[in-house]
Formats: sequence, C-alpha cells, structure tokens
Amino acid sequence: MTAVAAAPSRRPERRRRHRGDAAAYGFIAPNLGLLALFVVVPLVGTLVLSLQRTNGFGGGVFVGLENYARLFADPLFWRASANTALSTVLVTGLSLGLGLLTALLLNAALPARAVLRSILILPMAVSSVASALIGKLVFDENAGVLNALLQAVGLPAVSWQSGGAPAFASVVLVTLWLRLGFNMLIYLAALQGVGRDLIEAATLDGAGARQRIRYVVVPMLGPATFFLLVIDVVYSFQVFDVVFVLTGGGPQNATDVLVTYAYQNGFVTRDQGYAAAIGVVLLVVAVVFAVVQWNTSRTRDLTE
Amino acid sequence: MTLTRRQALGAAAVGTLPLALAGCGFVPSAAPSKAAAGTIAFTTWGTDAELAGFRSVIASFEKAHPGAEVTLNAVPYEQMFTNIDAQLQAGNPPDVFRVPYYTFGSYAGGDQLLDLSKHLPSGFADRFTPQAWAAVQQGGKPFGVPHHTDTNVIFYNRKALSDAGVTSVPTSADSAWTWSEFRAVAQKLRSSLPSNRYPFAYNWQGNGVTRWLNWLFQDDGRFLSSDLKSAAIDSTQGRAAIDFTRTFFPDRLVPKNDFVKSSTYAADAFANESVAMVFSGAFAIPDTDGLKFEWGSTFSPRQARGGSDFGGNALVATKAAGGKAELIAEFFDHVTQEAQMRTFCEGASLLPTRQDLVSDGISFTVRPELSKVSVGQASLVRASDSGQVASPNMSKIITVLQTQLDTAFVGGRGAAATATAAAAGITAAVA
Repeated sequence: MTAVAAAPSRRPERRRRHRGDAAAYGFIAPNLGLLALFVVVPLVGTLVLSLQRTNGFGGGVFVGLENYARLFADPLFWRASANTALSTVLVTGLSLGLGLLTALLLNAALPARAVLRSILILPMAVSSVASALIGKLVFDENAGVLNALLQAVGLPAVSWQSGGAPAFASVVLVTLWLRLGFNMLIYLAALQGVGRDLIEAATLDGAGARQRIRYVVVPMLGPATFFLLVIDVVYSFQVFDVVFVLTGGGPQNATDVLVTYAYQNGFVTRDQGYAAAIGVVLLVVAVVFAVVQWNTSRTRDLTE
Repeated sequence: MTLTRRQALGAAAVGTLPLALAGCGFVPSAAPSKAAAGTIAFTTWGTDAELAGFRSVIASFEKAHPGAEVTLNAVPYEQMFTNIDAQLQAGNPPDVFRVPYYTFGSYAGGDQLLDLSKHLPSGFADRFTPQAWAAVQQGGKPFGVPHHTDTNVIFYNRKALSDAGVTSVPTSADSAWTWSEFRAVAQKLRSSLPSNRYPFAYNWQGNGVTRWLNWLFQDDGRFLSSDLKSAAIDSTQGRAAIDFTRTFFPDRLVPKNDFVKSSTYAADAFANESVAMVFSGAFAIPDTDGLKFEWGSTFSPRQARGGSDFGGNALVATKAAGGKAELIAEFFDHVTQEAQMRTFCEGASLLPTRQDLVSDGISFTVRPELSKVSVGQASLVRASDSGQVASPNMSKIITVLQTQLDTAFVGGRGAAATATAAAAGITAAVA
C-alpha cells in the first residue's frame, strides 16, 4: 500500500528530471556536434587511413595492421618516440618547476612585478613559428647570438645545430621559453586562491617559509598542477613547429619527434597510411597518459 | 524551333569550315584558337618578380583569347603542396598548378595529371631542349610543360678569393674547375680565412638534396637505372661523389651546419660572409641586392663531364580539368612562346627551357652580366639526368638521399657503406 501510494509522487519528479536532462543535452548539442565533426570524424578517418597503403591519391589498398607492424621494425620511429618521451619529461618537468618558482616570486611584493609578468607571458602572444625563428637567430652555430656571447667570454662555441645533444637542448630550451609563461600564469591565478588564514595558521604552528610552501601552498595548488601536467604533456606530444623550424628534425634525426616524423612520412614521402598509424599511436599514448593521471592524482580536486 | 535535316547539315558544315580550312592550310596552324573560352584556375607560389611575370603573361593570354580568363591564386610555398594534395584528395583541385620537376613525378605517377599529348599543337616538343622535355614525361607522354629551369652555379666573394690568391675563375663551362682544382681553391681559402669563416656552403638543404646529384652527374653517374626501376647509385661514380662531398666536413671546407637536414640555408651563410663561395641558382640573384660586398658567379665544377641539376618548375593541368583541355593547352602554348618565356625568365632571374632562348641567350633584369654563366651551366644538363628526377618515386628517393647523406656528412659514415644503404633505400622506394 505504501509502495502504491509512493509511485504517483515520484512521477512529477522523474518528469522534471527528464526535462532537465533534455535541456542539458540541448545546451551541449552544438558543442557535441562540432566535436563530432572536427574531432571524431577525422579521428575515425585517420584510423581507417592507418589500415591502408596509400599515397593519398585515389583509393588506398587495405593492408590490415601492416603499418603498425612496420612501426615496430622502424628504428626512426623508435628514435622519434624516445625523443618525444625525453622532451616531454624535460619540458613538462622544467616548465612546471620553473612556472611554480616564477609564480611564487611574482606573487610576492617585487619591484616591477607587472613588467616581469608581462615579459614572461609575451611568448604566448607570439606565434610559435615566429618564436622558433627567433630561436634560429639565437642558436645558429656560425652566426648566432648565443655562440657569439659564449666566445666573447672565452668559452668554446657549441654545436647547436650539428651536434645531436646540443640541438636537442636547443629545442627543449625554446619550447620551455614558450611554455613557461602559461605555467606561471596558471600558478599565479591558483596562488590567489590559497587562503591567507591557512598560511597564517601554519606560521602560528611554527612552519618556516620552506615548510609553508612544501606542506601548505604546493598541496593547495594540486588542481592547477594536475591541469598543467595534462596540458603540458599533451602539448609536448604535439610539438611540431618549433622542431620543424629550428632543427628540421636533424642532425641525423636527433631532434625528430613523432609529429615531425609523421609529417615527413605523410607529406614528403607520401606514405600517408604509415603517417596515420604514427598519429594513432600518439593519440593512444596521450589518452592512456591522461587516464592514468586522472585516476592516480590524489590532489586534482583538493580544495579548502 | 525544330531543325530540318538539311538545316542541321548546313549548320554543321559552317561550323566545321574553319577546321577544314585549317587542315588545308588556309588558316595558319600557329594562330591561337579563339574557339576555346572559359576560366582556368591557376595556383602557384612565387617571388614578387615571378608573380609579376605570371600576371603579365596571363594578361597577354586573355588579350589574345577573348572569352578566356585565368584566375591566379598565389599561395606561400610552405602551404602550396599540402593545399594541392588536400584539394586533389577532396576532388576540387585547381585546373593548373606549378610544380617543381622533382615533385612532378609523384603527381603524374599518381594519376592526378592530365595527359597533354592529344591537346598540344603538333611539333610542340621541338621548342624545348631535350632535357626540359624529358623532365615532364611519364611513360613517354607529356603531363606538363617545362616552364623554366634553374641550376647551380658558384657565387663568390671577390675580395675573399683575391685575399686567398685566387685571381681568376673559369669563364666557360669547358674551363670549369675539375673536382681537384675546386678542392685546391677551397683549401687556399681555408688557409687564408679565419677559423669562424669557411671556403663555401652547398645548397642541398631540404628538398635541395637533389642538388647533390650534380656531383654524381659530373662523374657521369646515375642514381636510377635507365628504365627508372632500380637503383644505380652503388657504383664507382656514386661512391666517388659521396666520398668527395663527405670530406667537405672533416676538412672544414663547409660550415658544420651546412648538412642536408640543416635548418640554415647556404645562401644565409654567404650573405653574412660566413663563407666565401656558395652554390646557388640564379633565382637568388634578385635577393642579393643588399649584399655589402662585391661578388660574381662562375661555373659549377666538372669531373668526367660538366653536370648540373635540372631545377625549376613545370606547369601541369589536373585530370579533373579534362573538360578544359583545349583551353589549357592554348594557355600552355602561350606561356611557352619565345616572347613570354624571355620576359618571365629575364624578370625573375630564371633560365629558359626553349632551345632558341638557350642558343640566343637572355639577359637578366638584375645583374645581366651573370646570365651567361647560368644559361651556360643549364645547357650542360642531359636529358638522361633530368629524366631520372621525373621518377614517380622521387619523393621517397629524396627522403632516402636526405637520410643517407646526413649519415655520411654528420655521422661520418664511409662512402661505400653510404652508397650501399642509399641503393637499398632507393630499391625499396621504387619497388
């Protein structure tokens, strides 16, 4: 009897909830449509292309997983993968660390704080191709600014272009220069959200400056760090223009990353099925990383 | 209104009269057909001088062909072929586009271009040099017209050479430096220049790796067999060319960053006086206005023979434009007339592909005295050399050459191993 009496009272609630669901779907429908058109459709297209042998002209030949099998036996693919992984670790780690450091400095009462913030953010406003061209002027090993400075102070010139390790370092440094401002900005915004009362409480408990940062500020920046980690890693996986302009992937593929290698195969060699397979691998790695990070981060939703 | 059979036959007779008269010789066959009308969509990249040349030739074509229109779509070089490829894949390519000879084969071999053999006037091929005509062939059929060429000569800094005691340079193709003479000049420069300056730089960066083939051709070598179906680089000539060029690096004759995959172009090193000589095409002459030193040009070295790359660009029509084949053929005929080609090449510092212009010579608008060297150098190209670059697999071969030469130049791998690896790569590319 109670159950019979309760049923009518739930119907209006369910109708209201359905109306709410419909409205929500209505609001997100345009975005979902655009996402399907510009992300899902090309992704499916890439997946199909990766199962073909094609130069892009006319219909391809279905070859199943042959392109993926080729990846395993291709030393240049593994070289590009290793370069991508190393640059991701270096750029992400350094841009997070330096971004936090500069944010902490520029959050304090420094003279010319606004000017310094603007200088660090400036590379974000310039196209990355233009920034890479500036990098070329700096790192040209014959006529570049950096070698001229090194030699002016009595140090030997560095093979920024013809040496594998220095060329890789130049790519990391230019990418870092481009990313630092963004990381600093996000941390700066997050620092505004750390309550003064928490800092005061820690101070009253006898925590020193380092302890306050280590045990109060950094944990409170967890959501920002999680956001930056995912964004920085995805960005690093996608770095193309800096490498393309600054080193062209050389010398001897020392700076080739997966995206430049996919471009080389897709648009220079015209092996578009193989290039698509490289793209799919890159996507899978990025998604796996994001999912693992999402499930293992303990501080991504940390709030006061 | 309905036509009677007699009216229809009469109209057909009137319509075919000009054709019949032309066949009998009453109408000069060289006169452009005014029958073809319509619009040609033409996509190209170009320097200011090249685009001005294209606009001029389009204006004269439209004037000579009332009812015909050519719409010029000028795009940056960096976007040119990703755009063309995307348009071809989407089924809406331009009617006509400009393409380097080393890329031509990919499009012709990929069945994307219009076979022009039935549409070009009879005897059309005779106006071009054999090497130019060979560069637009695929399976014995023309899939484009050779619009212009360009090839490597040596630009040299007069003072740097004179300071090194090099008082004269070759003034004819026959007297060009042999490899050993060229090396001796470079070594003299090495001795006289400070350590941060170098004797020369070579322009083999990026797709310019095809310019390395000059050395191979100079030693009378090949990278593909005569049927273009197998590798021929692992030969005495191939190994000699690799060996000679790889020593430029340890001997410090070129800057360390002058390797094939470098992002710094050789011309930049010449402009900032990091090098005393640079290998370059004539196309760069207009860009040398700002140089603060005196410079001249001389012929590329020779070994078994003089040899050079067949650089430059063809004009091609896409298969999708087949309905406009006659109009496009008339446009190609017009563009490659003597007056039009002369104006274009002289204005843009490029080299002609017509036999008469090669024989008579042209005079560049900028630095006209350098025209003779470049035209003379281009005349050394053989059809057997340019025909190899028209291979449908040239895009893959370019990647092979880039990778293998970089391994020799930067990685220090020996000539024999490099030639073997390059041959294996080319074999896979043409398979």
